[in-house]
Amino acid sequence: MIKSKEYYLNTFKVDEDLLYSLCAEALHDGGDFSDLYFENTGYYNLMLKDSEVSVGGFHIDYGVGIRVLSGEKTGYAYCETTERIAMTGAAKAAAAIAANAGPSDNCSPRYTRRYVGRPNPAADRYPIVNDWSNADLAAYVPYLEELDRKVRAKDPRVTNLIAGISGRVSDILMFNSLGELKYETRPTTNLTLSAIVRQGDRIERQNASRSFMMGAEMLTPELMDEMVAKVLDRVDERFEAKRPKGGEMNVVMGAGASGILLHEAMGHAFEADFNRKGQSIFSDKMGQRICSKGINIVDDGTIPFNRGSINFDDEGVPGQKTYMVEDGVLTSYLHDRISASYYGVTPTGNGRRESFRYMPIPRMRATYMDSGTAKADDIIASVKKGIYVDEFGNGEVQIGEGDFTFYVRSGYMIENGRLAAPVKDINIIGNGPQALADIEMVADDLKIDNGTWTCGKEQSIQVTCGIPTVLIKNLIVGGE
Amino acid sequence: MDNRIDSQEKALALKCLEFAKAEGASAARVTLNKSVMDLVGTLNGEIDKVSHCLDRSISLSLFVSGRYGTYSTNNICEDSLKGFVAKAVKTTSIFAEDSCRRLPDPSRKAKDAGKGDELGLYDAEYEAVTPESRINRALKASIYNELKPVSEEAEYSDCLYDTLVVDTDGLECRHTETSFEYGVEMTVSDGNGNKFSSFWWDASTFLKDFNLKGCARKAYDDAVAQFGPKPAESGKYNAVILSKVASKVVSPVLNALGGYAIQQNNSFLLGRLGEKVFSEGLTIVDECRSAGFTGSRLFDSEGVATKVHSVIEKGTVKEYFINTYMSRKLGMEPTVEDITRARILPFPKPGMDHVDIMGLCGDGILITDFNGGNSNTATGDFSYGFSGFLFKDGKIVHPVREMVMTGNFISLWNNLIAAGEDARPCFSKLIPTLAFSNVDISA
Repeated sequence: MIKSKEYYLNTFKVDEDLLYSLCAEALHDGGDFSDLYFENTGYYNLMLKDSEVSVGGFHIDYGVGIRVLSGEKTGYAYCETTERIAMTGAAKAAAAIAANAGPSDNCSPRYTRRYVGRPNPAADRYPIVNDWSNADLAAYVPYLEELDRKVRAKDPRVTNLIAGISGRVSDILMFNSLGELKYETRPTTNLTLSAIVRQGDRIERQNASRSFMMGAEMLTPELMDEMVAKVLDRVDERFEAKRPKGGEMNVVMGAGASGILLHEAMGHAFEADFNRKGQSIFSDKMGQRICSKGINIVDDGTIPFNRGSINFDDEGVPGQKTYMVEDGVLTSYLHDRISASYYGVTPTGNGRRESFRYMPIPRMRATYMDSGTAKADDIIASVKKGIYVDEFGNGEVQIGEGDFTFYVRSGYMIENGRLAAPVKDINIIGNGPQALADIEMVADDLKIDNGTWTCGKEQSIQVTCGIPTVLIKNLIVGGE
Repeated sequence: MDNRIDSQEKALALKCLEFAKAEGASAARVTLNKSVMDLVGTLNGEIDKVSHCLDRSISLSLFVSGRYGTYSTNNICEDSLKGFVAKAVKTTSIFAEDSCRRLPDPSRKAKDAGKGDELGLYDAEYEAVTPESRINRALKASIYNELKPVSEEAEYSDCLYDTLVVDTDGLECRHTETSFEYGVEMTVSDGNGNKFSSFWWDASTFLKDFNLKGCARKAYDDAVAQFGPKPAESGKYNAVILSKVASKVVSPVLNALGGYAIQQNNSFLLGRLGEKVFSEGLTIVDECRSAGFTGSRLFDSEGVATKVHSVIEKGTVKEYFINTYMSRKLGMEPTVEDITRARILPFPKPGMDHVDIMGLCGDGILITDFNGGNSNTATGDFSYGFSGFLFKDGKIVHPVREMVMTGNFISLWNNLIAAGEDARPCFSKLIPTLAFSNVDISA
C-alpha cells in the first residue's frame, strides 16, 4: 500500500530538508552514494494451543539505517530514534567507511541531490484492506478456535494443535543521495498450523502454513478449509512411511514446495555478492550453458500479494522479474546496487534487508523454474526405480562447492513407473550445478508454494519458491 | 561513554511495572536489553564494511486477571511507554484465562545478580577499544596477500550486552557481558575449477584472551585439506564428529528435554524421566555458574536462579526443563527454563581430542561439517548431510563429501564410543568431539 508522502514524513518526524542534510552529512568524508532507510514495524500475534487462544501480543520496532557506499565498500549505522542528533551521529559513523577506505576505484565527484518530486513506482502489488495496526485482535480469536474445532473434528487422533496468526505492517521511507524518495507500507499475514497426531504408540507431527503480503483480509473461510485439509493431508501414509534403503537414484521433485531446492541449491549461487567475491560455483559461468535447453529459472518480485513480492527493493530499485537462466544459459545474477555497479549492469531489485538494522545485500524474492512441456504422470512413468519428493522440510547448500542436502518430509518410492510405498525423514544430497545439468524432464505444472518461507542468509527475509514437476537423475538418497 | 544500562533507563523499566499495575495488571515482568556492537568486515585483506549498532528495547510480560500476553518496543521514552503499556494491558484482556500463568515463586528467584558483573563477564578494556584499533585488528589478521586464496572474507566485532529483569514481586536481576569475535571464511581453488571453503573463528569475553592470529590460516588449511574428495561406500561406520559441529547431535537431545516439547507430546523423551535411555557414557551437566566463562548466567528469563546440576547422568534422564508455566501445566516440580552452559563429560577417559578418538576407533569417518538435514522431534529420527574424511587405523585417508548419516538419537547415543575433552572455551555449550559406532552412512 502506498499512502501519501506526508503520512510517511510525519510517521518518522522528518522533512525533506532533514533527509537531504543527513545524506549530505553521510558523504561528508567522501564516498559515492548514501541512503537512509526508515522503518516503523508493528508485529501482531495470536496463538492457540490446548484449544484456547491464551497467548499473544504485539511488538514495535522503529528506527533508521544510514549507509555510505565507497566503491564496493559499505559503512553502516542505525539508531532507534529519528531525533536529528542521533541520526546525525549515525550518519557520521557510517561515513567512517569513506574516511578509511581511501578513494574508490570508480570515484567520481558525488554530491547529494534534493528530492525533485519523482513519482513513486505506480505498481502497488499489495494494497491492504484490513491493516493489522488498526485491527481489533479479538476479532480473530474465533477464527483460530474454529480452525481448532475443524481439525479435531476431522481427525480425532490429533492430540495437540498449535495454530497461530501473525501480522506485520511496515511503514518504509527511503531517501538517497541521488535525490530519490520512496515510501510505502508493506503488509504480511501468516497463518500456521502444527498438529501432533497419535496412532497407537506412534506420533507424527504435521505442519501447514500460508503467507501473503496482505492484511487481515487474508483470513477467509476458504483459507481455513484449505489449511485443515493441508495439515491432515496424507497423515495415514506418514504412519506407514519408512526410510528406504539409501543409494543413488533418480528423483522426481513434485510441483510446488520442492522449489526450495531451486532456491537453496541454485538460487543462492546466482546472488551477485557471492559471485563478485569469487565464492560462487557460478562466478565464472556467465553466458555459459549450465543446463538443458528449454529450462528457464526466474526470480520474480512482481507477483501480486506474493510473500516475496516488492514494489521496490530496500535500496529503492523497482521490483522486477529477473531471468537468471534462459533456455539453459546463465544470463543474469541477482544484483543490489553494489554488485550492479561492479558488473556494470542495472540493479535487478534484489537489494533487500531484514530491517533497518541491516545493510541490504542481494536476496531472492519468488524463485521458480518456468513450466516445461512434459506431463507429470509421464515423468513418474519414466522412472523404473527412484524417489518422488512430495515435500522438502528444509535444505542447505555450500555456496563454493555447490553441495546441497535436502530433508524430505514426505514422498514415495517409485517402482516401475508407479508411486509405491511412502517414505519420510530422509535426505537427498547432490551438487547444485550437477543437479541442474542432470534435469532430464520438466512438466507443464509450475506451482508457487505460498508457505511461510524465510531465507536465512545473514538476515531473515521472506521469500517464496516454486517449481514444476521435474526429473533429476542420479541423486544420492540417504536411508537405512 | 558507558554503554551499559543507566539509572534513567532502569527507572523507565520500573515505571513500566507501575504503569502496568495502574492499568489493572495483577503482575508484570519487564526485561530491558541494551547492546552496542561495532563491526569491521574485510574482503581479501581490505576493509569491506564498518558498522555501528546500538540497540535498546523493553519486553513486557503481563498477567491480567488470569490472562497473559507478551509485548515489546524499542521506543523507550516515558510518554510512549505509558501508552504502550495501557494498550498491552487492554490487549491481554482478550485472551483466554490460563490459571497456570504467574510469576515464579520468590524463593526460586536469583538473589545474587543485582549488579550485573557478579560473574565477571564484563571486560573494562572494552571501553578503551577505538575505531582505529578495530580496523587494525581486522587488517592484521588477514593473510590474503600471503596465500592469495580465491576469497578471504572476515569479520571482527566487539559487543557489550546488558540485560535487566524486574518484576512486580520485587525481582531485580542484571547480567552484563562483553564479547570479542573474529570469524573468517576462506574459499580456495584446487586448480581444476573446484572450489572449497572453510570457516574458523575465535571469540572471548576478554580482550586479553582474544586471539585472532591463526584463524585465517586454520580456515585456509581446512579448506585445502578438502582437495581431491573421493567417494566412500555406503554402509555402517564408526562416526567421529568434530567438536566444532558436534552440537548437531546434542541440541536435539536437549530440546527433547524442554517442558514445552513434553507438554505438546512433541518429544522423543516423553515419559522417560528417571529412565536409563542412553549409553552409560553420556553425562551432561549444566555448568551455568562458572565465573569468567562465556555462557554462564545466574538467572533465566524469568529471573529464576540457575543451578549447577546433571541433566543426563550415565545415560539416565535426570531432568526436564520445567519453567513456572510448564510446572503448573504439567503438574511437575519446576526446575529451570532451559540448560544454560551444557558440558558433556569425557568418556571413557579424560583428555582425548579427535586424533586420540580416531585412534581409539581405528577405522571410520571423521565428520568435519554438516550440510543440511533435519530431525523429527517427536520420534528422534534424523538425517544429516555432511562432509569430512575417511580414516583407517586412526589416520586420515582422503576427504569425502556429499554424504548422509541417518538414524535415531536414542540408538545413536546408545552406540557412544567416546566423548573427548576438547571443547573450545569460546563456546557457550561445551560439546567435545564425539564418536559413535554402527552409524548408517549413505554416499
